[in-house]
Amino acid sequence: MNLRKGWTRGYGVFALLTLSVAGLVTLAACSGIPGGGSPISGSGGGGGSVNNTLAVAVNLGPNGNDINILFASVVVCVPGTSSCQTIPNVLVDTGSNGLRLIGSQVTLSLPVSTDDSGNPLGECQQFADTSFVWGSVNTADITLAGEVASSVPIQIISPSGFPLSSSASGCNTGGTERNTQALLGANGILGVGLLVQDCGNACATAPPPTNGYFTCIAQICNPATVALTSQVQNPVALFPQDNNGVLIKLPTVPSSGAATLSGSLIFGIGTQSNNALGTAKVYPTTPGGDFTVTYQSTAYTQSFIDSGSNAFFFLDTPGSGLPTCAINAAFYCPAAASMFTVTASAGTSSSMVTFSIDNAQTLLNANPTFSAFINIGGPFAGAFDLGLPFFYGRPVFTAINGKTASGTMGPYWAF
Amino acid sequence: MRRVLEVALGVALFATSAWATLGQKYDSVKADQQRMAGELRSQQFSNYTVHEISQPDGHLVREYVSPAGVVFGVVWDGPTMPNLSQLLGPYFDQLQKAIPTSGPRRRGPLYVQTGALVVSSGGHLGSFHGRAYLINLIPTGLTEAVLR
Repeated sequence: MNLRKGWTRGYGVFALLTLSVAGLVTLAACSGIPGGGSPISGSGGGGGSVNNTLAVAVNLGPNGNDINILFASVVVCVPGTSSCQTIPNVLVDTGSNGLRLIGSQVTLSLPVSTDDSGNPLGECQQFADTSFVWGSVNTADITLAGEVASSVPIQIISPSGFPLSSSASGCNTGGTERNTQALLGANGILGVGLLVQDCGNACATAPPPTNGYFTCIAQICNPATVALTSQVQNPVALFPQDNNGVLIKLPTVPSSGAATLSGSLIFGIGTQSNNALGTAKVYPTTPGGDFTVTYQSTAYTQSFIDSGSNAFFFLDTPGSGLPTCAINAAFYCPAAASMFTVTASAGTSSSMVTFSIDNAQTLLNANPTFSAFINIGGPFAGAFDLGLPFFYGRPVFTAINGKTASGTMGPYWAF
Repeated sequence: MRRVLEVALGVALFATSAWATLGQKYDSVKADQQRMAGELRSQQFSNYTVHEISQPDGHLVREYVSPAGVVFGVVWDGPTMPNLSQLLGPYFDQLQKAIPTSGPRRRGPLYVQTGALVVSSGGHLGSFHGRAYLINLIPTGLTEAVLR
């Protein structure tokens, strides 16, 4: 069954992997970047500007079986100190906001956030696929390339000694808890999306139904409201400069796929010579971060771009005409490559987007060690999710809510 | 004795449910609405009724009820995920068992069809939306397209 070779690299290989060792390092950068100047438009990467380019890569990931996942290394430090740690293999996600790290990967002792009474704060984050993460809220200085965000609330997923998710009423509803590197498929998630906080007003006024923040007293965690500034924060928004958004640049990928990709996560929009909008069109999103994708005269108004989604997810088999794969119904497996042309629109911008969906099983079987595929899709009714393949060969800007970026207020995408 | 206990547990679970549950009789709209401090709007069509509960923070759930009084579909929308285990009831377990575990992991929205159950759940932090329905309970003359 050579045909299925590519698919057998699924979940069985976890035990064989060598975990990346997150070593303790001491960086002078953690206590502040010398020469970190104000944004100077057109000044280039040098001349006093901060290095705003973080290397990112698409590869098989720490579990050796991922496709279309973007990874970066993140440096976290105990606030105000040079006690720092580099965490590799952190997933770069424009679909979420804030940094989350698997507790077992973090050897630093980062201060735990508390409520006014000194009780530790917990957070439950539910994802759309019904999986979730639970852990404490801690504070760290975060260094990404030459950019530093100081005293940022982050989430530490399932740290040892912290109450379990079962202690938090309503958090564990029966979905998969992604509390290890193997289950998350990464050492953490770097959320550099459209919003400043990971929950926003929904957690500041009354606790939402299943997730959000908790205060923990004697191993029992109860839902709590948390002020916006104490919520887990998109670190980009807290940089002293280059803080209005990000640009992700990745090379294009041949139709047969690529083994790995190297690219850039560039901070700021229109703040340095390497992040100008240029000819990119601006697509303002709804406050929640959606725009409209129209296919065959039907407008899908809750569509979105998401570097943390690993394919084009859209329509269902009757709508797309594409059968799902026999072995893994999560992806489409058409008999031949099928082209889709949709219209992306928001505000006054509109453009045609064309992508091709080929047989995921055939592609993976042909090149079992490849990690990047530009033409993989899967079903999702009700909206278009333009995942990481949308970024291949197409620079995409993500502008943060409330920040002005090249003359337009975020949140918006531009491409 | 054991049977009695199970029944009692079932009732208790239903009572704590925020809304009536997929595949169940719809009979607790008012109580649910009061518990959620949400606004209830009901709209009757020729062969189904839609009950919509919306909360001030932007969470919204619509339940689609057949003439026989059974919830054949639910739709959700809001800044955070709803409690799907409550909305789907016993079908939540069926959903979990049907999520593929072979091959590369799908990351992003969820779409599962298993038996009569179809669940599509997607979005990102700040905007989550989805729907779940039971094909065999959709009233005659309708399709899943009514679930918006």
